[in-house]
Amino acid sequence: MVRTTRNQEIHSQIITMHHRCIFTKLVALGTIILASGCATYYQANQSFNQDFERGNLESALATLQANTKEAKSKREFLYYVNNGLVLSMMSRYKESNAYLEKAFLFGEDYRMNYLNEAASYLTNPNVTTYRGEDHEHLMLLYYKAINYLKLGDTQAALVECRRLNIRLQQLSDRYKNENKFQRDAFIHTLMGLIYETDKDYNNAFIAYRNAATIYEEDYSRLFNISVPEQLKKDLVRMAWLNGFTSEYEFYKSKWNMPEGDFEMPPANQAEVIFFWHNGLAPVKAEWGINFLVDRRDNWVYFYNRELGINFPFSLEGYDQKEKDGLARLEVFRVAFPRYMERPLYFQEASIITNGAEQPLALLEDVNKIAFKSLQQRMHLELSKALIRVALKKVTEYQVKQEDKTLGSVLGVINAITEKADTRNWQTLPHSIYYTRVAVPAGQSKLTLTLKDGNRSTTHDFSYTLNKGQILFHTFTSLESRYPNYGFFDSDSYRD
Amino acid sequence: MRIVYCLLLGLLLTACAQTVSRVDPGQPIDLSGRWNDTDSRQVAEKMISELLNSPRYKEYAKELGKRPTIIVGLIRNRTSEHIDANAYIKKFEMAIFNSNIADLVESDTFRDKLREERAQQQDFADPATMAQWGKEVGANLMLFGEMTSETDVMNKQRVVNYITTLFLTDMESNKRVWYGQHEIKKYIRK
Repeated sequence: MVRTTRNQEIHSQIITMHHRCIFTKLVALGTIILASGCATYYQANQSFNQDFERGNLESALATLQANTKEAKSKREFLYYVNNGLVLSMMSRYKESNAYLEKAFLFGEDYRMNYLNEAASYLTNPNVTTYRGEDHEHLMLLYYKAINYLKLGDTQAALVECRRLNIRLQQLSDRYKNENKFQRDAFIHTLMGLIYETDKDYNNAFIAYRNAATIYEEDYSRLFNISVPEQLKKDLVRMAWLNGFTSEYEFYKSKWNMPEGDFEMPPANQAEVIFFWHNGLAPVKAEWGINFLVDRRDNWVYFYNRELGINFPFSLEGYDQKEKDGLARLEVFRVAFPRYMERPLYFQEASIITNGAEQPLALLEDVNKIAFKSLQQRMHLELSKALIRVALKKVTEYQVKQEDKTLGSVLGVINAITEKADTRNWQTLPHSIYYTRVAVPAGQSKLTLTLKDGNRSTTHDFSYTLNKGQILFHTFTSLESRYPNYGFFDSDSYRD
Repeated sequence: MRIVYCLLLGLLLTACAQTVSRVDPGQPIDLSGRWNDTDSRQVAEKMISELLNSPRYKEYAKELGKRPTIIVGLIRNRTSEHIDANAYIKKFEMAIFNSNIADLVESDTFRDKLREERAQQQDFADPATMAQWGKEVGANLMLFGEMTSETDVMNKQRVVNYITTLFLTDMESNKRVWYGQHEIKKYIRK
């Protein structure tokens, strides 16, 4: 009898020691997570972001490149694209393209790591590799193509153009719902411009026509962007150059275009294709959504009335302990990412050359596309987040049944590790505008005017161009206003 | 805890490694339903057999009294896809070349390169090996082509009909000597 009691004592001491050991480890782990994990991706890169937003590009690049570990981290895609974008802004196009190529190959070779994916269900989605949003994979090729065009390497730009075409096809095949962002008009326009630079007017025509169709069918409805006037002129001009008489007549009358509005620039002239990158893309913040839990028969319903979301989970096949664990849940909070818009500082811009002023037309609203991309997979993301939290809660409940202290500690750790994935490409512009300006061969000048209400800022540029040369110029204004959450349409996330 | 293990196991079971295998280029593989290598091959084969068996073309060659010389002109793509016509035009050219029914001369892209090189030779090459000016062979026929597509879409179904037409036109008279046409109709359900 004594012996048994002694054995029990030893056993219980071992258990206590074991628990203490786990307890210490858990507290240490919790502290580490607390110290490193609470900030969003934007906040964690505060120093780089500050330099970048102020236009201190040398310093921003130094900060970025000092942190070489990022290249081998779960954020390698963002490391490459940020380097690529900053170097492109600094006119270091070859270096920029070396980074962007790595980002492209990352996208090509990306394969899901299922262990990390599984681990994310027990901790948070930040343990998975950031794979990049659809539009981010398109944008990196835009920067790459533009870099090549600035280096005068049209053939290399055409390679990017073909890669873009494949990416666009993948995008349109992935989504079947026409209310989703599945066709990118801006990228088609860019492809048209590249083909036109290569004097491949047939492909330029196809690209412009596809772009115009997407602006009319998708962009006007989803993003409130209509067909840019410049694109109309380019499309009609290409139809004419290809001898596509019926298409030429069709578009000319459809858009009511005056005769002579789409002529080729005189042979002794050159052209500047001017892209304006206005403002900054949105950043992601964390957002807690509270769910109420209702259990009926063998089903558990997680619902949020405000958002009109209801996720049913079947309890079929789960043992009683797990059912009890789920049944004891009444309300819980799920961490979810949400975009914060960085509203535009400048509303519009125009270019003046030889006394004539022409506005820059909106081609792409990266901000709205980002919001749209997140909304359209919100259902999937929310259900993943729900499973994650439910799993944590069930484990917590079961541990609590066996050991109250350990259960409580696990509860604290679960609360700490519950975190949304706030990573995204944040150095992208908010919106992209463009226009084409015919300038005389030789020396020429133009003035860019950025307008903010009644105030305006001007920038002068001078060029030396050959006859018939097409020059690509990008201008980035990083100014933006204080972030806000933008508009969230609770109905629009649905499939 | 079983729920956790099931989830982990499920995810691990669905994991698989990327594989690459080489397949016969003639094997038709359709993935998205867009124009692909199988379509280009079909067009080339159809056009080659139509040209080789064309009585009108044979008659033309007989009247000419020698093997006609062909130059590749313009192939117009009026479809909504960026299709590289070279994929079938080069096969077509090769079949013409190997079957001896016509001679081929360089089209403008490569011709300009030859002329540049010939000009260089006038200054730098040994006169005995220097290429002479004015000896280019003039083509008798020019090859033209046009691709069109008609698409009908409803919900998740799509029907696309691609029509590829090639024709040979006499350089002097503008008369069409030969026509070849191939249609490919695809029904795609998403």
